[in-house]
Amino acid sequence: MERRDFLKLVGAAAVGAPLASTLAAPAIAQAPTTVRWWYHFDNPQNSPADLVAKFEKENPGIKIQAEAIPWGGGNDYQTRLFAALVAGNAPDSAMVRLSWAARLHSMKALEPLDPFLAKWNARTDIDDNIWKIVGGGSQQKYYLPLQYVVIYLYYRQDLLQQAGLKAPETFQDFQAVAKALTKGDVAGFGMRGGAGGFDNWGPFVLGGGASFDKGGMVTEKALAANRFYVDLATKDKIVPASAPTDSFRQIVDAFKAGRTGMMIHHVGSAAEIQAALGDKVSAKRVPVGPDGKGWTYFGDESNAIFAASKAKEATFRWISFLSTAENNTALTKLTGQLPVSSKANADWVPQRFVDASRASVSIAGPLPDSPKTPDFIGRIWPTNMQRALTGQISPDDMMKAIEQHFHG
Amino acid sequence: MASITSSYPHTVAPPSRRNFTPFWFLLPALLVTAAVVLVPVLQTFWLSLHDYLLYAPDDTRFIGLGNFRAILGDEVFWISLGHSFIWIVGVVGLQFLLGLGTALLLNQSFWWRSLARSLVIIPWALPSVIIGLMWTWMYDFNVGVINDALLRFGVIETPIAWLANPSTALYAIMFALIWQGFPFFAVTILAGLQTVPQELYEAAEIDGATPRQQLFSITLPSIADVIATALLLRTIWVANSLDVILVMTGGGPGYDTHTLPLYAFIRAYTGMEFGYGAALALILTFLLMAVVWAYVRRASRDLSR
Repeated sequence: MERRDFLKLVGAAAVGAPLASTLAAPAIAQAPTTVRWWYHFDNPQNSPADLVAKFEKENPGIKIQAEAIPWGGGNDYQTRLFAALVAGNAPDSAMVRLSWAARLHSMKALEPLDPFLAKWNARTDIDDNIWKIVGGGSQQKYYLPLQYVVIYLYYRQDLLQQAGLKAPETFQDFQAVAKALTKGDVAGFGMRGGAGGFDNWGPFVLGGGASFDKGGMVTEKALAANRFYVDLATKDKIVPASAPTDSFRQIVDAFKAGRTGMMIHHVGSAAEIQAALGDKVSAKRVPVGPDGKGWTYFGDESNAIFAASKAKEATFRWISFLSTAENNTALTKLTGQLPVSSKANADWVPQRFVDASRASVSIAGPLPDSPKTPDFIGRIWPTNMQRALTGQISPDDMMKAIEQHFHG
Repeated sequence: MASITSSYPHTVAPPSRRNFTPFWFLLPALLVTAAVVLVPVLQTFWLSLHDYLLYAPDDTRFIGLGNFRAILGDEVFWISLGHSFIWIVGVVGLQFLLGLGTALLLNQSFWWRSLARSLVIIPWALPSVIIGLMWTWMYDFNVGVINDALLRFGVIETPIAWLANPSTALYAIMFALIWQGFPFFAVTILAGLQTVPQELYEAAEIDGATPRQQLFSITLPSIADVIATALLLRTIWVANSLDVILVMTGGGPGYDTHTLPLYAFIRAYTGMEFGYGAALALILTFLLMAVVWAYVRRASRDLSR
């Protein structure tokens, strides 16, 4: 065969093959609507397959394509989601956080849910406080709450009883208890200075008077609150020396190993801590200021529908299914968080940890709805906190850097 | 030669379609390379000239060299550049010395040599994320095996926060990467050592050369090309590597383990400042160009031999 003939043959095959396969393909009658949904579970071995099967059985015309996306501290998930949105390949729906809302709004990526919510009977099963927080005060709703956590204080009640102490109510109590518990190789407080540690800092500094409003990080009250928090490490020395880079795994393992007397986290670690320490551990609301004012982080997780979705009705059916009664129970059992539906239950978590979460809701709030919030969480807070904890900058300089980040 | 060629100009084949045949064969590979290398590089260059936030693509502005000017005034860039220098010199240098020593040992005859050669490759075969996690827990302040061993042997009196202390964090990560990468040098140099003719050593021994003289006058000159190629390749890899740092400290405490690729990654993926991140990545690329150029020159010289 001549080369020219060969090339002609290859060219004809390249053009003809797809055409031939298209013609040969059988006609598909009434293909089901496919809903692509992105999710992440802390335990990647957990799968929503049972929930998907139940939904598809109840909704024969809808097929759910659930895609597990690596979380990577939030950054991986978030970057993949935004990259998919920019590339026009986003799913119909995804699990989202409030702190991303401003960025998603600036891309006009979100579909308002109000028309769907108006027809959804189980809407009133979700507590008004949760709707207020997730709604962010805006007229329209873009997020459908799925699950939540509230940051609270874990403490070793056996150690406190031995020392004749009560669980701390105020910042000063907390400092006194942590000092009393600090002995030998045990530190009173397992401070989280690494990734995600803003939720340890917030109760003391935002609860102590700082705010994200313009100038709110550099008032005398805010600066004093931050000095108090940094001093727990640098002057009082009631935290492990590794605190500047300690993250979730380190603070939980140190607490479980009896190397710290108190730590701040949410119900997501309750089962693991209960298994290691049993009744030696208990929990309560984070400490508050002497004036009774406080703040703790409301860790939200919602579902959103993207504006580019071509199956919005079917997508809403899926996400509302997940936030309804026993389905919400089944989902939160997989994620280790708390259900938003009042008809769901969290009986897989010891009750005292659920109580601590509920007692904290009254002072709980999200981080500001700003495009700069994710960068605050991932870069500005950890680097400046760590520099303050290692004495490279003063606590006041840390607050100035945060103020600069949000308000220039 | 020139006179012969000029005497027979008709012997030089006229340009014909047949001469393009090799290029047609190369074309698929060139197209794939262009698609996966050249296009992203050009896209990165184009992005670096823009103020581009991933979450605000409609607000993208062309700012020319604005990102580069901002980088030159960015304190964290200079900190990261300094750390990158320490990182490359320290990691590549020590990996090489450790690899050379290991290769010389593995080149000796002993009964479990085959097993030793297999075992030494294990750190190199492990994924970087595993290496990072493994060493993070070995260095752990509360439950780490390193502190535990040092305390038991009485070397230290209290545990050391290896990864949280600004004076030890970078070196602790470097140590982990040195451990991971030295087998590359060991195996590469070992392959080179086995090409050195035994007769040279026999002749040297007859001449009364000491082992040290044999090392510096026979062994090292004979494998100089192998060493140079391995050093250049490893420099490029180490300069670009950020996964182990990302897993072990995320760049902290503060900026104490920031290197240039890590800083570019953080700005691009945490801040979603893709324009700024692209400019940082391009600066790293330009700095590495000298090394790449040396490597390409060496590779093409080897090919022309």
